[in-house]
Amino acid sequence: MRLVWTVGLVSAGLSSKVLANQWNMPVGVTDVSREIHSLHMIIFWICVAIGVVVFGALFYSLFRYRRSRGARASNFHEHTTLEIVWTVVPLLILVAMAIPATATLKKMYDTSEADLDVMITGQQWRWRYSYLGEEVAFTSNLATPRSQVEGKSAKSENYLLEVDEPLVLPVGQKVRLLMTSDDVIHSWWVPDLAVKQDAVPGFVNENWVRINEPGIYRGQCAELCGKDHAFMPVVVKAVEPPEFESWLAQRKEAAAQAALGVDREWALEELMTRGEQVYATICASCHMPDGQGSPPAFPALAGNQTMLDDADYHIETVINGVSGSAMPAFRSTLNAVELAAVITYERNAWGNDTGEAIQPARIAELIDSP
Amino acid sequence: MWRVIQSVLAAFFGVQKESRRTEDFTHGRGFVFIVVGLVMAALLVGLLVLVASLAAE
Ligand code: HEC
Ligand SMILES: [Cu+2]
Repeated sequence: MRLVWTVGLVSAGLSSKVLANQWNMPVGVTDVSREIHSLHMIIFWICVAIGVVVFGALFYSLFRYRRSRGARASNFHEHTTLEIVWTVVPLLILVAMAIPATATLKKMYDTSEADLDVMITGQQWRWRYSYLGEEVAFTSNLATPRSQVEGKSAKSENYLLEVDEPLVLPVGQKVRLLMTSDDVIHSWWVPDLAVKQDAVPGFVNENWVRINEPGIYRGQCAELCGKDHAFMPVVVKAVEPPEFESWLAQRKEAAAQAALGVDREWALEELMTRGEQVYATICASCHMPDGQGSPPAFPALAGNQTMLDDADYHIETVINGVSGSAMPAFRSTLNAVELAAVITYERNAWGNDTGEAIQPARIAELIDSP
Repeated sequence: MWRVIQSVLAAFFGVQKESRRTEDFTHGRGFVFIVVGLVMAALLVGLLVLVASLAAE
C-alpha cells in the first residue's frame, strides 16, 4: 500500500512539473484546442495504464518465478482463447479511443459558416495575410534584429518569435484560414490555437479558429522551407471585436493613403529611407545587408554594372523575379511605393551613387498591367 | 465453403488453431483460399468505407 502511495505521489509531482515547464502540449485558447488537449491526456493515461499492467505482469513474473526459486517453464505451444483475448482487448481499446477522436476531427474540419476569411500565404521567408473582402493585406516579417541572431547583442524575450505586423483576429468569432504558398511548402503552426496546417503552392488548405481569450499567440513555420525557415515566425494578436473593427478601419485608411502616395512625386531621401527598411526586411537575407550577396548563389548588387546601366532591367527583375532561380517575384508582395523605394535604394546605396529616384507611379503602371 | 470463409476470417483476425491450419493445408485448395480472400478483402474495404461515411455525416 505504501508503494502505491509513493508511486502515486511521485507521478502527481512529475505531472505538475511537466505542466509547469510547458513540456506538455498546451491547453490552448480555443474549444477545439481544449478538446484536443483532453483527448491527448485521456489517451496518454490509457497508455500509462496499459504500460503499468504489461510491465507489471512482466516484472512480477520475472521476480516471482525466477529460476533460483525452482520455477519451471510451462512449454505450451498454442492457447487460442488467450490469443483471442489479447487481440480483442486492444481492438476494443482502439475503437473506444477512435470514437471521441473522430468527433473532434469532424469539428476541426468544419469550416462552414465563418464570420471572417483570412488568406495566409507562405513565402520564403515570411507570411502574408489578406483579409478577404476587406481590401486589407500585409506581410508579416521577423522583427528580431540580425545582431541578436549573430550573437552580437543580447537575445530578447521573444527571440525569433516576434514580427513587425502580427495577424490581428477578433475573439469569439469563427475565422476561416485559407492557406497557400507562393514558392515551396510551408506550414502555419500556432500551438495555442491547435492549428498546424501545410501551405502548399497551387493548393488552398482550409482550417479555422474561434479564439476564446484575447492575447498574443506565437508559433513558427513547421515545414523545412529553405535557408531562413527558422526566421518566419507567426504571431497572432487576438482582440475584442470592437477593437478589431477599429484596427481594420485604420488599416483600410492606411491602404487608401498609400494608394494616394503612388501618384505624387517622391524625393530621393524619402525613397531611400523607405527603401532601406524594405531592403533590410526582405532582400538582405539573400543579397546581404551590405549588398555584396554571396556569389555565385546570390549576386552582389553593390557595384553590379548590368543592373546599374539598365534601370528597366533592374525594375523588371524585382517585379517579376527570375524564373528558375531563388529570386522571387515581388509584384504581389510589395506595393508600388515599396518597390520604387527598394529599387531606388539599391541604385544609390553602397557606393551605387546613380542619383536616380525611381518614382512609384512608374512602378504602378507596370504592376497594374501584368 | 463455410470452412474456407471461417479460415479466411481467422486469418484477418490473426488467430488460428493449429489443428485447423494443418487440415486446411492438407485438404484445402490454395486457389479457393486466394479467391475467397480477395473477395472478402474487397468486402472489408467496402465495410470500412461505409463506416467512415456514416461517421462523417
Ligand atoms: C530568396 C533569395 C532572394 C531574395 C529574398 C531576393 N533576391 Fe534578388 N536575387 C536572388 C538571386 C538568386 C538572383 C540571381 C538570379 C539569376 O539571375 O539567376 C537575384 C538577382 C537579383 C537582381 C538582378 C541582379 C543581376 O545581376 O542580374 C536584382 C536587381 C535583385 N535580385 C534585387 C532584389 C531585391 C530588390 C530584393 C528584395 C525586394 C531581392 N532581390 C530579394 C535571390 C534573392
Ligand atoms: Cu516556411
